Amino acid sequence: MTIVALALSAAALLMLLVLAARRLVLARRERGHAESERRVRPLALAIVEGSGGEPPALSARDQAVLAEVLGRYSRELTGEADRRIADYFHESAALTSAGGELGSRRMWRRAAAAYTLGDMRCAEAAPELLRALDDDKPEVRGAVARSLGRLGVSEAALPLIEALASRRISNEVGGEALIELGSDVVPELRHMAGHPDWQIRATAITLLGLVGTSGDSPVGVEALRDSSADVRRAAAAALGRIGSSDAETALRATLDDPVDVVRAAAAESLGLIGSRAAASELLELARTDEFRPAHAAAEALARIDPGSLAAAAAEPGAGPHLHEAADLRKL
Amino acid sequence: MNEPEAARDLPVVLAADDDEDILELLVFRLERSGYSVLQARDGEEALELAREAKPDLAVIDVTMPKLDGFELTRRLRAEEVTRRMPIILLTARTQDADLERGFDTGADDYLRKPFSPQELSARVHAILGRR
Amino acid sequence: MSVVHAILRGVSWVALVYFAVLSLAYLTFTLVAWRRLGAHRRARKYLPLDEMYASPFTPPISVLLPAFNEETEIVSSVDSLLDLRYPRHEVIVINDGSTDGTLERLRAAFDLAPVRKALRTRIATAPVRASYISRTHPNLWVLDKENGGKSDALNVGMNAATHAHVCVIDADAVLEQDSLLRIIKPFVDDPELVAAAGGIVRIANGCVIDSGLLVKFGLPQSSLARFQVIEYFRAFLIGRIAFDSLNGVLIISGAFGVFKRAIVEAVGGYARDTVGEDIDLVVRLHRYLRTRGDDYRIRFVPDPVCWTEAPEDLATLSHQRRRWQRGLGETLWRHRSQIANPRAGAVGLVALPYFLLFEFLGSILQLVGIPVVLVSWLLGALSVQFFLVFLAVSVLLSVLLSIAAIMLEEYSVQRYKRASDIALLALYGVLENLGYRQMTAFFGCRGVVDLMRRRHEWGEMRRRGLERPEEAPSAREQARA
Repeated sequence: MTIVALALSAAALLMLLVLAARRLVLARRERGHAESERRVRPLALAIVEGSGGEPPALSARDQAVLAEVLGRYSRELTGEADRRIADYFHESAALTSAGGELGSRRMWRRAAAAYTLGDMRCAEAAPELLRALDDDKPEVRGAVARSLGRLGVSEAALPLIEALASRRISNEVGGEALIELGSDVVPELRHMAGHPDWQIRATAITLLGLVGTSGDSPVGVEALRDSSADVRRAAAAALGRIGSSDAETALRATLDDPVDVVRAAAAESLGLIGSRAAASELLELARTDEFRPAHAAAEALARIDPGSLAAAAAEPGAGPHLHEAADLRKL
Repeated sequence: MNEPEAARDLPVVLAADDDEDILELLVFRLERSGYSVLQARDGEEALELAREAKPDLAVIDVTMPKLDGFELTRRLRAEEVTRRMPIILLTARTQDADLERGFDTGADDYLRKPFSPQELSARVHAILGRR
Repeated sequence: MSVVHAILRGVSWVALVYFAVLSLAYLTFTLVAWRRLGAHRRARKYLPLDEMYASPFTPPISVLLPAFNEETEIVSSVDSLLDLRYPRHEVIVINDGSTDGTLERLRAAFDLAPVRKALRTRIATAPVRASYISRTHPNLWVLDKENGGKSDALNVGMNAATHAHVCVIDADAVLEQDSLLRIIKPFVDDPELVAAAGGIVRIANGCVIDSGLLVKFGLPQSSLARFQVIEYFRAFLIGRIAFDSLNGVLIISGAFGVFKRAIVEAVGGYARDTVGEDIDLVVRLHRYLRTRGDDYRIRFVPDPVCWTEAPEDLATLSHQRRRWQRGLGETLWRHRSQIANPRAGAVGLVALPYFLLFEFLGSILQLVGIPVVLVSWLLGALSVQFFLVFLAVSVLLSVLLSIAAIMLEEYSVQRYKRASDIALLALYGVLENLGYRQMTAFFGCRGVVDLMRRRHEWGEMRRRGLERPEEAPSAREQARA
């Protein structure tokens, strides 16, 4: 027992010493970093603005901090400023080292490298990143997807959609990356809307709703008849943004869908499109007992036909959703 | 940096953003474009500066603590002193739905983030040039 | 004589074994937590928070804020919630029949307009008197209801929430700007699996808070609060991280947690007849999800996402600890069929037994130990040397664990930047054993006694609303300084 006591005391003291030493080391490192940043920030701004001329020779630490600062700036900037940042990193040591790290054995190094490569705005990193999209760790794949989006790599569209659909990257990050790629991905998405896997179809259609145009409306209309409820819901929601007049009739029919979330999505989209013809059906839906569809229908009615909404809400037994929508409309 | 007695021969622009990096980029660009810049890090500070110094234009980030860009715009529009001050809002893409709100409250223009500094100074020029 | 001696010897062996098992458990937890926190720290270099903020796929959240007599803080609390960095969220304040100016302050500050909000009816609640929306902030709702207690208020919030994910928060909790983004991350990574998530709750006393935003982190001035800081590290933080890896998370703090609304609705919402409504809900969620058969997760995010105020006077601390023990006891009793039940998975086999033996019974045993030792000594049955060494070992182990916990904080999160703060914490980790732990054990025992007596405080509680004891102003003023 006494031995145990002694061992514990020794361990405790040792840990305290390590703590203290670590804190001191970290504090010094932080100060150094802060000073570096102060020195380096005017340079970073000059690079971004193209006013610098030749940058002076910098210590390795200052260079690393400069890369960090430029990386942070690059997230906020676009256009000419972005290009200047890319030029700075082009063929720089930081870029090569990050590219190298992409092959590291440690997951977090690969992920951190993938992330940084996106900040460096260099399209030359694209091929390596595309390969890294097959990494076995989800964190790495997520960072890769994010960077592919930031770099605007259009060849990444198909791999990203496939990764999204097979759940290898999250909707949030993958979807965001695809949105950043913009209209380049639309042809792929249209193709994916007919894929055998329902998850792929649903994701593709949701994205079409975000980056597509009214020309893509027929794809959405077609999907309203899909066997999967998730796909139908995605289609109904997407048509709210890209639906043209052909979508209206189909959406009105969808108000009778067996699944409540699909009906709700159809109602919402009819409201966004502004379909006056749907007013009476929406009114009926708003009076029903099912929370989500009724709520969505009342909201939609508020957009389309506030007059009849107000009238209906005043009637006895109008139901809570009509009341809420009418009260909100009055504000 | 925040001197309300800014040199009056240069037009005065108020830049308000809680993100240090963005604020820096804004200030640098605006100063290089020939403006005198006042900085604010939150909505309340921006409001105070606007009242005291009466800048010629304000570039305001929509998402700021204490007083967000929309509320700030509404307040500025509600006060005599700042009612006609041109306002450019900096918005993130997710706030597209709120853009209508922004214009309802009286902003003159908006710029999406990530933004192009060139674009920003072009818009500022355009608005100030008109006046 | 020898029979008594034998009994006392037996008792001391039991104590030894108990202590050994507990120490082993703590050490294991610390090692597990070490690994997870290390990974988490590195993950910060590539955490796609900006992308989540921008992405239209990030699930919208309904933030539920139950409020009872919070007139001094309510406006800044709501302000800071509205300011959180998140793509789409709404804030629903449920005024639980406050008798002060809470509702008036809200009305004035946010330009409330009456709107008859449609509410779901799946979970039964006390009636809602009126509902309002803010004209200046259309994502802010205020529901005014008759007093019914925190559980009831939260259930109203569940019925009112628009979105599929709800965030439950206390009125005096302060969040960091990115807190919602951080706590939704488990749901983003595994949307089908994750049903609920909680985060680290840290102590805000000593931090500088400006209009509901955390501006500076620091240690509290009050000794009592300092003890609580180290206690949080040593006991709460490490344990929860470790349980997370087993999918045995039992505690999602009532101060801050995110749930899938439909699942909470499916289990009937919060229970109104217990003071441990937060633990009770999580245990019920586990049971429901397990019986459903699908794989699921209830996660703990090792990020300090929420800061709350610790009691700085003994009366309030006592009240808090008694309530905790009572709540724990009530939950353990209600769900006793799950304890050591292999069908209940890690919750039944590890988490619940751990909480029963070491958290619940621990306080009793600690205190019972003292008279037993005394009696043994008086009867000459105590080996003084053995006892002293045992005492030394247990204290040293606790100190070691505290230091390990501080190291973990330092290593991963580093909110306390000053070396002096760290040293101070270490010191308090030692001092803890000279009275603080015994005192909290005593409070815990009183909680158990309360439970046994089943004092009809429940009725009183419901009238008082949110069980907010005498404390509120002093602790909060301190923190707001």
